[in-house]
Amino acid sequence: MHTLYAFVLGPMVYASLAVFFLGTGWRIARILSRPAFAPTLQIYPHKKPSWLYALGDAVFLPSVARHNKPLWLALAVFHGGLLLLVIGHLELVWDFKIFQIVPHSIFLGKGLVGLAMLACLFYFLSRRLASPTKDISVPEDYLLLVLLSLVVLFGSQMDWARSWFGYQTIDVADYRAYFASLLALKPVVSGLEPAGHSFMLVAHVFLANLLLMVLPFTKLVHFIFTFALNKIRRG
Amino acid sequence: MDAQTRDKLLALFDSKLSRQMLLNLDTCSRCGLCTKACHAYASMPLPKYAPAYRAEVVRRIYKKYFTKSGRLLPLLGETKQLDDTAIEELREAAYTCTGCRRCMVYCPFGIDTQQIISIAKLLLIGAGAEPETLSMLADMSVSKGENIESIKDGFAAGVKRLEDQIPAEWRSQAGTAAIPVDVSGADMLYVALAGAHSIVPAATVFNAAGERWSLSFFEAVNFGAFVGDPVKTKIILGRIVDEAKRLQVKEVCICECGTAYRVMRQLSGEHDFKVVSITEVHARYIREGRVKVEKLPGTYTYHDPCQIARNAGIYDEPRFVLRNIVETYYEMLPDPKYNWCCGGGGGLVALGEDSLDFRMRSAKVKADQVAATGAEILVTACENCHSQLDNLNEHYGLGKNVRFLSSLVADALVKK
Repeated sequence: MHTLYAFVLGPMVYASLAVFFLGTGWRIARILSRPAFAPTLQIYPHKKPSWLYALGDAVFLPSVARHNKPLWLALAVFHGGLLLLVIGHLELVWDFKIFQIVPHSIFLGKGLVGLAMLACLFYFLSRRLASPTKDISVPEDYLLLVLLSLVVLFGSQMDWARSWFGYQTIDVADYRAYFASLLALKPVVSGLEPAGHSFMLVAHVFLANLLLMVLPFTKLVHFIFTFALNKIRRG
Repeated sequence: MDAQTRDKLLALFDSKLSRQMLLNLDTCSRCGLCTKACHAYASMPLPKYAPAYRAEVVRRIYKKYFTKSGRLLPLLGETKQLDDTAIEELREAAYTCTGCRRCMVYCPFGIDTQQIISIAKLLLIGAGAEPETLSMLADMSVSKGENIESIKDGFAAGVKRLEDQIPAEWRSQAGTAAIPVDVSGADMLYVALAGAHSIVPAATVFNAAGERWSLSFFEAVNFGAFVGDPVKTKIILGRIVDEAKRLQVKEVCICECGTAYRVMRQLSGEHDFKVVSITEVHARYIREGRVKVEKLPGTYTYHDPCQIARNAGIYDEPRFVLRNIVETYYEMLPDPKYNWCCGGGGGLVALGEDSLDFRMRSAKVKADQVAATGAEILVTACENCHSQLDNLNEHYGLGKNVRFLSSLVADALVKK
């Protein structure tokens, strides 16, 4: 079991990060290697500055807000939750004072953020199971939702699950020791292993590693391409 | 389909993979928000009319032949072999899309389904499966350009016969002819469509404004663009550009043809002359006081041609013109940006009777939108839209009088 934990929390993390960054770089390079289509492809009315409107489109999804409010709400909660979770994870790595402008405990949200995201993912899945979204969906769409749900489920609910069995906590100092060892390229996972719910942590990291590795090769690349496309639309 | 044909088609596919196209193909999350943006889906809610569905027909072939994930894990993206069945699907996708790009307004990423459909159209040409009518029209157009010297005299004689239709007041304003042709050094080259309706009102207004203009030998309509053939599109476009350069005009004015205007303005590249639509020119004449107009009686509404408004930005000018020449104007709801396509673009109107049933059924939302305005007269500034709106008017018994904006401007001219 130790070997499995050590692999998932050590080499696999490096491998997934390498695949993520190299894959993302390759996807961008692949697009840049193609000739640009010179004529404008924008739609009108034109609003200036177009880059600012494109940024607004990419971040706030105004077209979704206008045409499908429940979907917009779910997307806002999901992506907002994602941002909070990224902050939460960064705080497990290091003591970023800037994030404590609004004082909060680490880990941020106490699992509620993850629960909210799970609800959103369930909503996304339910949309995909009904026509007309069902008719344009492919297996990748469902599998990514399942993978995301599992990552969030195991990650955000591990402390909650711990409380059911009275397992000992894995505190912030343990995580920081682990991340410090990761950054030093000498991963030490022993501080994370003793807790009874460590299997949830390992499952979370394993699934997150998988997600990072597939991300550049799936539709999830929209996180890097959305601004460019919106800029084309805005002119 | 044999391997050689497939390779040829894949080479055509590859030729369309610009940076923008890859972004369009790689980014869709299949959220389905575009579904209700399409007039065809809104009128006939079948999955195959969802823009994302049409795009997926192309995208699944793209995944199979042009992406690593599609090659390694074809099931995940339901990749599709390029075969005869795929060609059938591409044809259905391509010729149920009018290229209005209303779905782009809805898409959170701004994915351009018309661009993706341009791949489908090119593959159909490569496979010899495009609508014959459109190819023939494009070929005839190209052929006419190649033989222009032999038809110039006949063209000039035909134009001369039209001059009688111009009100006497404005027949001689342009100088030697009421409809001048081949005038070197003219300020404006007007590119019309075949038919008096595209030439006579325009000539009347140009002459009333004292414009130094010349009528092009060539038709504005670009059947190469309708059928999705980039080579023929450029040939048809190029001869107008050459004529404009030869005559050293300052402006090329495109008649009421949405595709012709967009293609000329956006695909012809940078030139010494400016490309304008006739609606812009009319707005300028009124704004500068070069023509005097009076208000016509009746209630009017305006249909924004997608290629002129959403895809080329001409929203304000037609409204400015209408405010000056009609007594009562009703805006179509909810918003010009969200105007429903007439359902006739993308070459569908040119297919005539072959596409009539689909055009009528797929544009029910347009008919409803027009009916809801309560206006008596439905105005537009595009030949395709006019034909389609005429058909819709008859099919749905809307009881509207469908008019070209340019002809209304001619009617509103005040004689001195």
